Amino acid sequence: MLTEQATETLLQVDAISLSFGGVHALVDVSFDIRKGEVRSIIGPNGAGKSSMLNVINGFYHPQKGTITYQGHARKQMRPYGAAAGGIARTFQNIALFKGMSTLDNIMTGRSTHMSKSLFWQALRIGPAQREEIEHREFVEHVIDFLEIQSIRKTPVGRLPYGLQKRVELGRALAAEPKLLLLDEPMAGMNLEEKEDMSRFILETNDEFGTTIALIEHDMGVVMDISDRVVVLDYGRKIAEGTPEEVRADQNVIDAYLGVSHD
Amino acid sequence: MFYRESGQLKSSYPADQAIFPIAQDRWFVIGVLAAAFLVIPLFINQYWANAVLLPFLVYALAALGLNILTGYCGQVSLGTGAFMAVGAYASFKLVGFFPELNFLIVLALSGVITAVVGMIFGLPSLRIKGFYLAVATLAAQFFLVWMFNKVGWFYDYNLTGMITVRPIDFFGIRITGPEATPAAKYLFTLTVVCVLALSAKNIVRGRIGREWMAIRDMDIAAELIGIRPLQAKLSAFAVSSFYIGVAGALYFAVYLGAVEPVEAFDINQSFYVLFIIIIGGLGSVLGAFLGSAFIVLVPILLKNIMVGGMGFDSGMAGHVEILLMGMLIIFFLIVEPHGLARLWQIAKEKLRLWPFPH
Repeated sequence: MLTEQATETLLQVDAISLSFGGVHALVDVSFDIRKGEVRSIIGPNGAGKSSMLNVINGFYHPQKGTITYQGHARKQMRPYGAAAGGIARTFQNIALFKGMSTLDNIMTGRSTHMSKSLFWQALRIGPAQREEIEHREFVEHVIDFLEIQSIRKTPVGRLPYGLQKRVELGRALAAEPKLLLLDEPMAGMNLEEKEDMSRFILETNDEFGTTIALIEHDMGVVMDISDRVVVLDYGRKIAEGTPEEVRADQNVIDAYLGVSHD
Repeated sequence: MFYRESGQLKSSYPADQAIFPIAQDRWFVIGVLAAAFLVIPLFINQYWANAVLLPFLVYALAALGLNILTGYCGQVSLGTGAFMAVGAYASFKLVGFFPELNFLIVLALSGVITAVVGMIFGLPSLRIKGFYLAVATLAAQFFLVWMFNKVGWFYDYNLTGMITVRPIDFFGIRITGPEATPAAKYLFTLTVVCVLALSAKNIVRGRIGREWMAIRDMDIAAELIGIRPLQAKLSAFAVSSFYIGVAGALYFAVYLGAVEPVEAFDINQSFYVLFIIIIGGLGSVLGAFLGSAFIVLVPILLKNIMVGGMGFDSGMAGHVEILLMGMLIIFFLIVEPHGLARLWQIAKEKLRLWPFPH
């Protein structure tokens, strides 16, 4: 949760507009994400939430506006550039590497931290072996943290949905991100799984100080775990503030419940 | 009953990450290698070397190369025959320019030259995928074979258009041409193949191998966690082509001794290697060896049974052999679409529980 140094801005989204042909996915959206907070992005279906995350990690290139990350403004960026800068994410539809084991999936998350050349890897002695072991140790911490020790060597394609979501979070955490983007981490989960996931998200935020931006439809969860909320509707920002402020906002109530036009 | 991993506890990460973490597997592999290196050379003759063991090893190496690209990185290629040709002609020219150069260095350089060519023809993979990429690699197949056939410099303006290997000594032992003993050819090839297979295994279980598999399984997610598609795909093309190039050089210099590009490296060769990895198992080092054993050895076995045991004449046996091979391939693909390597895996899992069913 928020600490006193948390007022520093990690990421500033400035007047972002994104359209696909005639469809305006995002229109003039601005908000900031402060270091160490849990920031939720909510809104009805099609509000542009996932598009917003895709813009932040460089997958979509907005027509207008700038993104300032760690004090550096950028217009265009490739996804691997964002990853190298410390932005990790999980996906609405699980995007694990199905043919690989849990361990290998999470190890892949550490790719950006590993550097030994093909030559050393082919020999797998000395530097490459040491590097592999060192990162394996870190990955084991992540596995312990997420309580998935027993599925370490299981191919992820065989795991149930809830565990796949957890492995995907593990893969993102393995990158030691400064900013973690979670796209509907609780979608399709039962109550127990949601509680587990909320706990992992809060502990990640607490223990590693990772800044988190999440999209979620479960309002109970959003109100419980976020520090601040931004609400999108039809690509525009309609409200922003603490969970309590947002909950009381008339625009938000209208967007979610509809307004009568009589 | 005998094949149990219980009680074999790992207390360090290197032990847990070993290639063969189970002791019985380790002993089995050591046994196979000991037989291959110590026992077979005592009995090997011209027939066994040229008809069975050398083609098995050379195709296993080529299949290993293609498996890195197709099985691990998910990029389909139909240019294997052409890349083998690049390796073969590179070794021919290198031996011509530097007759004193150690043959291992010649092999490595041939591999590097093939890797560069492979990377150039791998560039389309950044834009196109799947079957379309396979068709794009056909360009390599047709263009390169045409070039080796038409440009005289490659075959030293020889009137026949063929290239013939020069006699090469490896630390005083003749390994190419008719004077080389079958044992020398076999042991040299076996050593190269074993060292390269071990390196391949090391690469695919390390960072680069994981990046290839990530690109194969979900390229967008791979990019979002920081893997550069350009580097991953081109490195797969390079490493794959290196292996195929070395296989091509061995195919020409040690196994056949003389080749003519249109026949030796045509598109059938590409399909042949592709079948090996599909039958053997995509994304498996062991699969390349099992597939090669199946595709190379079973026809010979069938022929010997039919001609020797059942008294067919050899023309008839040839037809029946093709028929039976086709049926066997279909049978194995229906029983296990993931190839012989997966079948082997299942057999091991069953064996762990034996004699209990669950």
